[in-house]
Amino acid sequence: MAPIAVADVIPDGTLAYFDESDQLKTISVHSLAAGKKVILFGVPGAFTPTCSMKHVPGFIEKAEEFKAKGVDEILLISVNDPFVMKAWAKTYPENKHVKFLADGSATYTLALGLELDLAEKGLGTRSRRFALLVDDLKVKVANVEEGGEFTVSSAEEILKAL
Amino acid sequence: MASAFLRRSNCSSMQSMVTGVRAVVSRAFASVSVGADIVDAAPSVSLQKARTWDEGVSSNFSTTPLKDIFKGKKVVIFGLPGAFTGVCTKAHVPSYKNNIDKFKAKGIESIICVAVNDPYVMKGWAEKLEANEIEFYGDFDGSFHKSLVLDKDLSGALLGPRSQRWSAYVEDGKVKVLNVETVPSEFKVSGGDVILGQI
Repeated sequence: MAPIAVADVIPDGTLAYFDESDQLKTISVHSLAAGKKVILFGVPGAFTPTCSMKHVPGFIEKAEEFKAKGVDEILLISVNDPFVMKAWAKTYPENKHVKFLADGSATYTLALGLELDLAEKGLGTRSRRFALLVDDLKVKVANVEEGGEFTVSSAEEILKAL
Repeated sequence: MASAFLRRSNCSSMQSMVTGVRAVVSRAFASVSVGADIVDAAPSVSLQKARTWDEGVSSNFSTTPLKDIFKGKKVVIFGLPGAFTGVCTKAHVPSYKNNIDKFKAKGIESIICVAVNDPYVMKGWAEKLEANEIEFYGDFDGSFHKSLVLDKDLSGALLGPRSQRWSAYVEDGKVKVLNVETVPSEFKVSGGDVILGQI
């Protein structure tokens, strides 16, 4: 699949998560994003440093600013299972708005065309580091990192676009 | 099952060379069974030691070949469906953590926990479990478990391809004891208490 780009409609797909009563749930991306302003950002892996110490905290800290600018949802996806996503989310007790969603088999990541083969690092097929601003399912901003960097996909960059 | 008896009789010639073996095979079909050499069953397979990313970088993302883990050692190894999942976290790992001293008293040199997870998740989980005496390894692409025919598709539980819940006692690479749950959600034969009594 060609990587998702500005003006594309984001594909629908199913992601998994544990709700407040610890029930395993699945949800469709379109049901979360239709008619809304949504930030969707992806990381190569839970419990890895750039993801954990730089990328995710930026979105957690700026969540209120995003909300003030009309963003309804901030969705984080990673090719990890929902148990791992839940445990990783718990390492951010201050998080109020970012939803940690599991794309365990990389199906949605592949549909976005944002997959990355990290087998030699012991990770397998994962997601590129990226951040999308999506308005009523249409991609307005697509910031996708080339390799392992952390530049365009940060919360600051997407905030500038709002 | 007929195939289990066939395997046992094939192994009996190897077993007669090995004294004091107590064979427990609770599942008929596994490519590794008592008497088999675990390294030979998975010749080109390596595991990834649980690590932080920085450790990964500085080690050049090195992996550990099975022979380094098993040859010349007495090893107790157990596999489970997934880091951070219920039975694995609450019951399976603790049953080994709580018996560390007893394993050591029996001359066990390594107690290994392996799962089809990447080594960074395994490290995050190991730290949460505070199980310092257990060595955690990731079988990130499932190749170790597939070679031993201990893999299991858990897509229904939204986990994807994973492994059975199992335990084994391996001496110098030879499987002396193998316990495999009939379903991975169960925790009857693969715990630390059970295998302690089988060594």
